[in-house]
Amino acid sequence: MSILFSGRVSSGASAHKVGIARRFIMFWVNHVRQALFSLGELWRTPSASILTIGVLGVSLTLPATLHLLVKNVQQISDSFTQAAEISLFIREGTNATQISSLQKILQADNDIAQVTHISREQALSEFAQVSGFGAALNYLTDNPLPDVLLVLPKNTHADSARQLLARLSKERIVEFGKLDIDWLTRLDAIVSLLRQAVLVIAVLLLGAVLLIIGNTIRLSIMNKKDEIEVMKLVGATDAFIQTPFLYSGIWYGVFGGLLAFLIVEAMLWWLQGAIVSVTSLYESEFHLMALSFTEFFSLMLLAMLLGLSGSYLSVRRHISGIEPTGP
Amino acid sequence: MLEFDQVSKSYPGGFVALDRVSFKLEKGEMAFLTGHSGAGKSTLLKLISLIERPSVGRVLINDVDLSRIRRPHIPFVRRDIGIIFQNHRLLMNHTVFDNVALPLVIEGFSGKDMVKRVHAALDKVGLLDKVRCLPYTLSGGEQQRVGIARAVVNKPPLLLADEPTGNLDPDLSKDIMRVFEAFNQVGVSVLVATHDLGLVARKKYRTLTLKQGRMINDGLLHLDEAPL
Repeated sequence: MSILFSGRVSSGASAHKVGIARRFIMFWVNHVRQALFSLGELWRTPSASILTIGVLGVSLTLPATLHLLVKNVQQISDSFTQAAEISLFIREGTNATQISSLQKILQADNDIAQVTHISREQALSEFAQVSGFGAALNYLTDNPLPDVLLVLPKNTHADSARQLLARLSKERIVEFGKLDIDWLTRLDAIVSLLRQAVLVIAVLLLGAVLLIIGNTIRLSIMNKKDEIEVMKLVGATDAFIQTPFLYSGIWYGVFGGLLAFLIVEAMLWWLQGAIVSVTSLYESEFHLMALSFTEFFSLMLLAMLLGLSGSYLSVRRHISGIEPTGP
Repeated sequence: MLEFDQVSKSYPGGFVALDRVSFKLEKGEMAFLTGHSGAGKSTLLKLISLIERPSVGRVLINDVDLSRIRRPHIPFVRRDIGIIFQNHRLLMNHTVFDNVALPLVIEGFSGKDMVKRVHAALDKVGLLDKVRCLPYTLSGGEQQRVGIARAVVNKPPLLLADEPTGNLDPDLSKDIMRVFEAFNQVGVSVLVATHDLGLVARKKYRTLTLKQGRMINDGLLHLDEAPL
């Protein structure tokens, strides 16, 4: 494109007729070339690059770790939803046939996984065993405990369990139902609080990543001020000058993300032993969950996007500000 | 081709660098621009290469008023003008080849076509054997010639040079001038700013002389009647 001299063919691509397919290929080849060139630029200034990548890695590690923490706590709380068991206390004076027919009806219910009948006698002997009042209970003239139907809902989520409880409490022979769910709701609330906190911290840290990359790119633009002036003098557009810096930003993101991933993995490996010894004391089976492939992929994508946008912000501000001052 | 129409340039603070300068450079013409330092030579070249804008008057290239060129289009104008700088302005950490190829890369050339053009440009300035060298390993004259190769590699119709022989001894200066003449002979318009009056007077070329921002001479310059 020549504004001043019509007929002067100046662009390399239009100098000879080039097919669309070939231009398309050349477009990508050029981009790969520029990406590799930017990678080379990082390699040529190792100390500065390593520092920046280190800061990015640490900044990305914190949100990733917190995310893992939430994920694992959630896993624990999920494993406790078994506790969402509904106890239906049966009215006094209900006979065994009525109870067993209710039990059959409930077993046929789609929302219910399992129904167990604990008769008054069973309950009393269990109570005698567990409470240690065995001898004292013998003095009771009659059994004060009611029959109980233990209902295990199919959907163990707190809300649906509560709905089921409300429905079952309306049964005629049921005195009242009880769902030991309060602590579960509390745990849920704590987990969601934790998640909110993680979100806030993550946003702050990602903002920091943006600023760090922006500042690093700004410094490298300032370092190359002379070079940029020369390029502008021989006719480079701002877009042409920007591209390598944008790629540098992406590379910072890639390496920062990888570093964060490695730190998280190392931390998990380090903690695994300690966690196993704790959980074995509680005789519970608990597996520390690592980052899944999707999460790793999202982490990398996020880091690259942050790198790109950080450098874009910086490049927009500073490259147009550099003007050649004289021939 | 290149026309200055009553152009004045004053800088903030009231310093007048150019005062109603008018001249015309025809296609394929070669001219010298002389004057003491501070006479406005550099300002004049800056107006052509759109580094500065005139305060009053019009600068036209090929009848296109440069004041109509908006900022995003400035790079495309500069691609039509080869500029040679006094201090070379080479990229010191890139090879001679990379330096000369820069304008071509910017315009989207690649592969064999680019290599061919770079070699041709370096051949014209006699530096084909230094393709792989870094600029700081070259002498001042050689660096200046790399600068010239970079300015002409995309065959611009207009060539500007700001004190191209500023730091060179007379023999090297003559060599450089010969390179300019060679380009002029193939139809490139050349405007050379220099204060090397001896060099100018030996050549029978049109000379524009500036003094305190005014054009005081337009024509042949003879040493004995130097109006400076």
